[in-house]
Amino acid sequence: MSNSEKLVGAFSHALAIDEDRVHDQLSYNTIPEWDSTAHMILIAELENQFEVMLDTDDIIDMSSVLKAKQILSKYDVKF
Amino acid sequence: MQQNPLVEERLTGYQVELRQIVEQDLELLRQWRNDPSVAQFMLSQQHISEEQQRLWFKHICQDQSQAHYLVLYKSEPIGSANIRCYFEGEDLAKASTIEPGIYIAKEQYRNNLLAFAPTLVLNDYCFEHLKVERLKAVVKADNQAALSYNKKLGYKVDCATELVEISLTREDYEQDAKMLKSFLSRPTTT
Repeated sequence: MSNSEKLVGAFSHALAIDEDRVHDQLSYNTIPEWDSTAHMILIAELENQFEVMLDTDDIIDMSSVLKAKQILSKYDVKF
Repeated sequence: MQQNPLVEERLTGYQVELRQIVEQDLELLRQWRNDPSVAQFMLSQQHISEEQQRLWFKHICQDQSQAHYLVLYKSEPIGSANIRCYFEGEDLAKASTIEPGIYIAKEQYRNNLLAFAPTLVLNDYCFEHLKVERLKAVVKADNQAALSYNKKLGYKVDCATELVEISLTREDYEQDAKMLKSFLSRPTTT
Protein backbone atom coordinates (compact mmCIF):
# COMPACT_ATOMS: atom_id res chain seq x y z
CA MET A 1 0.00 0.00 0.00
CA SER A 2 1.38 3.45 -0.91
CA ASN A 3 1.72 6.23 1.63
CA SER A 4 -1.03 8.19 -0.12
CA GLU A 5 -3.38 5.21 0.23
CA LYS A 6 -2.41 4.85 3.88
CA LEU A 7 -3.11 8.53 4.46
CA VAL A 8 -6.53 8.40 2.81
CA GLY A 9 -7.34 5.26 4.79
CA ALA A 10 -6.31 6.92 8.05
CA PHE A 11 -8.50 9.97 7.40
CA SER A 12 -11.41 7.82 6.26
CA HIS A 13 -11.19 5.62 9.35
CA ALA A 14 -10.61 8.40 11.89
CA LEU A 15 -13.31 10.72 10.55
CA ALA A 16 -15.67 7.88 9.63
CA ILE A 17 -16.15 9.18 6.09
CA ASP A 18 -15.87 7.53 2.66
CA GLU A 19 -12.41 7.55 1.11
CA ASP A 20 -13.65 9.54 -1.89
CA ARG A 21 -14.35 12.49 0.45
CA VAL A 22 -10.67 12.67 1.42
CA HIS A 23 -8.89 15.28 -0.73
CA ASP A 24 -6.12 17.82 -0.14
CA GLN A 25 -8.51 20.71 0.57
CA LEU A 26 -10.50 18.86 3.25
CA SER A 27 -10.00 20.95 6.41
CA TYR A 28 -10.52 20.67 10.14
CA ASN A 29 -13.99 21.70 11.29
CA THR A 30 -15.32 22.22 7.75
CA ILE A 31 -17.32 19.01 7.96
CA PRO A 32 -19.18 17.86 11.07
CA GLU A 33 -17.19 14.62 11.17
CA TRP A 34 -13.84 16.41 11.62
CA ASP A 35 -14.27 17.90 15.07
CA SER A 36 -11.79 18.00 17.94
CA THR A 37 -12.50 14.42 19.03
CA ALA A 38 -12.04 13.09 15.51
CA HIS A 39 -8.90 15.19 15.21
CA MET A 40 -7.36 13.39 18.17
CA ILE A 41 -8.36 10.00 16.77
CA LEU A 42 -6.86 11.07 13.44
CA ILE A 43 -3.54 11.98 15.03
CA ALA A 44 -3.40 8.61 16.76
CA GLU A 45 -4.28 6.85 13.49
CA LEU A 46 -1.61 8.72 11.49
CA GLU A 47 1.00 8.02 14.15
CA ASN A 48 0.11 4.36 14.08
CA GLN A 49 0.09 4.09 10.27
CA PHE A 50 3.36 5.93 9.73
CA GLU A 51 5.10 4.96 12.99
CA VAL A 52 5.86 8.55 13.96
CA MET A 53 5.30 10.63 17.10
CA LEU A 54 4.07 14.11 16.19
CA ASP A 55 4.93 17.04 18.42
CA THR A 56 2.27 19.43 19.68
CA ASP A 57 3.04 22.18 17.15
CA ASP A 58 2.37 19.71 14.35
CA ILE A 59 -0.84 18.47 15.98
CA ILE A 60 -2.04 22.09 16.19
CA ASP A 61 -0.94 22.88 12.62
CA MET A 62 -2.55 19.83 11.03
CA SER A 63 -5.50 21.74 9.65
CA SER A 64 -6.08 19.93 6.32
CA VAL A 65 -5.21 16.82 4.36
CA LEU A 66 -2.61 18.79 2.40
CA LYS A 67 -1.11 20.10 5.65
CA ALA A 68 -0.99 16.54 6.99
CA LYS A 69 1.12 15.51 3.97
CA GLN A 70 3.47 18.47 4.51
CA ILE A 71 3.86 17.71 8.20
CA LEU A 72 4.41 13.99 7.68
CA SER A 73 7.06 14.83 5.09
CA LYS A 74 9.08 16.39 7.93
CA TYR A 75 9.07 12.94 9.52
CA ASP A 76 10.51 11.41 6.32
CA VAL A 77 7.19 10.12 5.02
CA LYS A 78 7.20 10.55 1.22
CA PHE A 79 4.07 11.19 -0.87
CA MET B 1 -0.57 46.70 39.57
CA GLN B 2 -1.99 43.17 39.46
CA GLN B 3 -5.67 43.11 38.49
CA ASN B 4 -6.54 40.51 41.15
CA PRO B 5 -3.73 39.77 43.64
CA LEU B 6 -5.60 36.80 45.14
CA VAL B 7 -4.83 34.59 42.16
CA GLU B 8 -1.76 33.91 40.03
CA GLU B 9 -0.63 36.73 37.76
CA ARG B 10 0.62 34.25 35.16
CA LEU B 11 -0.51 30.73 34.36
CA THR B 12 1.18 28.53 31.78
CA GLY B 13 0.62 25.12 30.25
CA TYR B 14 -0.49 23.25 27.13
CA GLN B 15 1.59 25.64 24.94
CA VAL B 16 -0.15 28.84 26.09
CA GLU B 17 0.43 31.55 28.66
CA LEU B 18 -2.31 33.37 30.54
CA ARG B 19 -1.32 36.75 31.95
CA GLN B 20 -3.60 38.96 34.02
CA ILE B 21 -4.69 41.90 31.93
CA VAL B 22 -3.15 45.33 32.37
CA GLU B 23 -4.31 48.75 31.26
CA GLN B 24 -2.28 48.52 28.05
CA ASP B 25 -4.37 45.51 26.94
CA LEU B 26 -7.68 47.35 27.14
CA GLU B 27 -7.90 48.66 23.59
CA LEU B 28 -7.01 45.29 22.05
CA LEU B 29 -9.58 43.56 24.25
CA ARG B 30 -12.21 46.18 23.38
CA GLN B 31 -11.61 45.71 19.65
CA TRP B 32 -11.90 41.93 20.00
CA ARG B 33 -15.00 42.15 22.18
CA ASN B 34 -16.71 44.50 19.69
CA ASP B 35 -15.91 42.26 16.74
CA PRO B 36 -19.18 40.63 15.60
CA SER B 37 -17.49 37.21 15.36
CA VAL B 38 -16.80 37.38 19.11
CA ALA B 39 -19.76 39.48 20.26
CA GLN B 40 -22.38 37.22 18.63
CA PHE B 41 -21.93 34.58 21.32
CA MET B 42 -21.83 36.94 24.29
CA LEU B 43 -24.88 37.47 26.46
CA SER B 44 -24.70 41.19 25.58
CA GLN B 45 -23.91 42.49 22.08
CA GLN B 46 -23.75 46.12 23.17
CA HIS B 47 -20.90 48.08 21.56
CA ILE B 48 -18.28 48.93 24.17
CA SER B 49 -16.82 52.45 24.12
CA GLU B 50 -13.33 53.38 25.31
CA GLU B 51 -14.86 55.01 28.38
CA GLN B 52 -16.95 51.94 29.23
CA GLN B 53 -13.87 49.76 28.85
CA ARG B 54 -11.86 52.01 31.16
CA LEU B 55 -14.63 51.96 33.79
CA TRP B 56 -14.92 48.18 33.50
CA PHE B 57 -11.21 47.78 34.14
CA LYS B 58 -11.39 50.11 37.14
CA HIS B 59 -14.26 48.01 38.48
CA ILE B 60 -12.56 44.62 38.07
CA CYS B 61 -9.36 45.92 39.70
CA GLN B 62 -11.43 46.44 42.85
CA ASP B 63 -13.32 43.16 42.59
CA GLN B 64 -11.63 40.10 44.06
CA SER B 65 -14.38 37.78 42.83
CA GLN B 66 -13.03 37.78 39.27
CA ALA B 67 -9.75 37.66 37.35
CA HIS B 68 -9.20 38.38 33.68
CA TYR B 69 -6.35 37.07 31.56
CA LEU B 70 -4.89 37.69 28.13
CA VAL B 71 -4.15 34.40 26.32
CA LEU B 72 -0.80 34.26 24.52
CA TYR B 73 0.45 31.60 22.12
CA LYS B 74 4.09 31.87 21.12
CA SER B 75 4.04 35.36 22.74
CA GLU B 76 1.19 36.54 20.50
CA PRO B 77 -2.14 37.56 22.07
CA ILE B 78 -4.85 35.26 20.69
CA GLY B 79 -7.76 35.64 23.07
CA SER B 80 -9.05 36.28 26.53
CA ALA B 81 -10.07 34.15 29.49
CA ASN B 82 -11.52 34.83 32.87
CA ILE B 83 -12.69 33.22 36.08
CA ARG B 84 -15.32 34.57 38.43
CA CYS B 85 -17.06 33.39 41.57
CA TYR B 86 -20.43 31.83 40.89
CA PHE B 87 -21.90 32.80 44.24
CA GLU B 88 -22.09 36.41 45.37
CA GLY B 89 -20.01 37.47 48.33
CA GLU B 90 -17.14 35.04 47.73
CA ASP B 91 -13.63 35.88 46.59
CA LEU B 92 -11.64 33.69 44.21
CA ALA B 93 -9.33 32.34 46.90
CA LYS B 94 -12.26 30.84 48.81
CA ALA B 95 -14.80 30.12 46.07
CA SER B 96 -16.54 26.75 46.02
CA THR B 97 -17.86 27.21 42.49
CA ILE B 98 -16.23 29.21 39.72
CA GLU B 99 -17.54 30.28 36.33
CA PRO B 100 -14.78 30.34 33.70
CA GLY B 101 -15.12 32.16 30.40
CA ILE B 102 -13.00 32.25 27.28
CA TYR B 103 -12.95 33.45 23.72
CA ILE B 104 -10.37 33.00 21.01
CA ALA B 105 -10.15 36.17 18.92
CA LYS B 106 -7.65 34.96 16.32
CA GLU B 107 -9.64 33.08 13.74
CA GLN B 108 -6.92 30.60 12.83
CA TYR B 109 -6.93 29.23 16.38
CA ARG B 110 -10.68 29.29 16.93
CA ASN B 111 -11.43 26.02 15.20
CA ASN B 112 -8.33 24.31 16.42
CA LEU B 113 -7.27 21.96 19.19
CA LEU B 114 -5.30 24.90 20.61
CA ALA B 115 -8.59 26.56 21.59
CA PHE B 116 -8.83 24.04 24.43
CA ALA B 117 -5.44 25.00 25.87
CA PRO B 118 -6.39 28.13 27.87
CA THR B 119 -9.40 26.34 29.31
CA LEU B 120 -7.27 23.39 30.40
CA VAL B 121 -4.86 25.80 32.11
CA LEU B 122 -7.69 27.57 33.94
CA ASN B 123 -9.54 24.37 34.87
CA ASP B 124 -6.37 22.80 36.27
CA TYR B 125 -5.71 25.93 38.29
CA CYS B 126 -9.27 26.07 39.65
CA PHE B 127 -9.40 22.40 40.64
CA GLU B 128 -5.80 21.86 41.77
CA HIS B 129 -4.85 25.20 43.35
CA LEU B 130 -8.08 27.00 44.22
CA LYS B 131 -9.66 23.65 45.21
CA VAL B 132 -13.07 24.49 43.81
CA GLU B 133 -15.74 21.80 43.89
CA ARG B 134 -17.42 22.64 40.61
CA LEU B 135 -17.13 24.82 37.54
CA LYS B 136 -20.26 26.27 36.01
CA ALA B 137 -21.03 27.99 32.73
CA VAL B 138 -24.01 29.51 30.98
CA VAL B 139 -24.11 29.19 27.19
CA LYS B 140 -26.64 30.50 24.68
CA ALA B 141 -28.68 27.55 23.41
CA ASP B 142 -27.85 28.36 19.78
CA ASN B 143 -24.11 28.31 20.47
CA GLN B 144 -23.64 24.68 19.53
CA ALA B 145 -19.89 25.12 19.13
CA ALA B 146 -19.51 26.19 22.77
CA LEU B 147 -21.82 23.44 24.01
CA SER B 148 -19.89 20.82 22.08
CA TYR B 149 -16.57 22.32 23.26
CA ASN B 150 -17.62 22.16 26.91
CA LYS B 151 -19.06 18.65 26.56
CA LYS B 152 -15.65 17.43 25.43
CA LEU B 153 -14.22 18.79 28.67
CA GLY B 154 -16.73 16.77 30.69
CA TYR B 155 -19.44 19.38 31.35
CA LYS B 156 -22.97 18.08 31.99
CA VAL B 157 -26.19 20.00 31.33
CA ASP B 158 -28.01 21.17 34.48
CA CYS B 159 -30.80 23.16 32.91
CA ALA B 160 -31.64 24.05 29.30
CA THR B 161 -33.90 26.88 28.13
CA GLU B 162 -32.80 29.78 25.91
CA LEU B 163 -29.69 29.62 28.03
CA VAL B 164 -28.06 26.32 28.89
CA GLU B 165 -26.55 25.94 32.34
CA ILE B 166 -23.76 23.39 32.50
CA SER B 167 -21.39 22.25 35.21
CA LEU B 168 -18.19 20.28 35.58
CA THR B 169 -16.84 18.25 38.49
CA ARG B 170 -13.17 17.51 38.96
CA GLU B 171 -13.77 13.78 38.41
CA ASP B 172 -15.55 14.29 35.09
CA TYR B 173 -12.90 16.77 33.98
CA GLU B 174 -10.01 14.44 34.79
CA GLN B 175 -11.69 11.62 32.91
CA ASP B 176 -12.88 13.48 29.82
CA ALA B 177 -9.98 15.89 29.25
CA LYS B 178 -7.26 13.24 29.50
CA MET B 179 -6.70 12.85 25.76
CA LEU B 180 -6.79 16.59 25.05
CA LYS B 181 -4.22 17.16 27.76
CA SER B 182 -1.89 14.51 26.43
CA PHE B 183 -1.94 15.90 22.88
CA LEU B 184 -1.32 19.47 24.06
CA SER B 185 1.45 18.52 26.48
CA ARG B 186 3.94 17.00 24.08
CA PRO B 187 7.31 18.54 23.33
CA THR B 188 7.40 21.28 20.71
CA THR B 189 9.97 22.07 18.07
CA THR B 190 10.05 25.79 18.91
